[in-house]
Amino acid sequence: MRKRLLAGLTAWLLVSGVVSPTLSAAKENQPAPPKLKVGDTAPDFKLQYFDGNDLKDVSLSQYRGKKNVVLAFYIFAFTGG
Amino acid sequence: MKNFQQNLQKLEAADTQVLGVSMDSPFANKAFADQIGVKFPLASDWGGEVTRQYGVYVDEYKAARRINFLIGKDGKILEEQLDKEAIDPTKIVAACQRPKLKQ
Repeated sequence: MRKRLLAGLTAWLLVSGVVSPTLSAAKENQPAPPKLKVGDTAPDFKLQYFDGNDLKDVSLSQYRGKKNVVLAFYIFAFTGG
Repeated sequence: MKNFQQNLQKLEAADTQVLGVSMDSPFANKAFADQIGVKFPLASDWGGEVTRQYGVYVDEYKAARRINFLIGKDGKILEEQLDKEAIDPTKIVAACQRPKLKQ
């Protein structure tokens, strides 16, 4: 009985040993989760945009206590949506 | 960005400012905004400092990944949408309209 248990345990260890590297390899192909999570404080920033006449500053802190901010990062201008 | 423009009235009614951000120049981004009819600022993170600070810089593109953050008035992140999911901002629009955010 004890031998069987031991064999079972060994098999289980082997299987989990074999399976877990495969799983973590599959995980690496998935896009990484974002560094900042829901609930984290968004870092302040100051950026510029062009309004057609002048370069204007825009910062996160200027909206603090006044407005929510949607910060929408996109890859490149002129590439769809 | 067009999808945010289509929802801009709802977002503004819920006290929400939309800012697009990419690593293009401010002038390219203005031309892009005009081309697609976007009225909110498309800010330039030339050099990528903010993109890196937010952890969304992708080596492969040498640019940002597509991601939306909804940041509350207290500066905390309330919602995130990543990659393909970030094209349709419905989840963020709905979150802005939740009563607790209207205070």
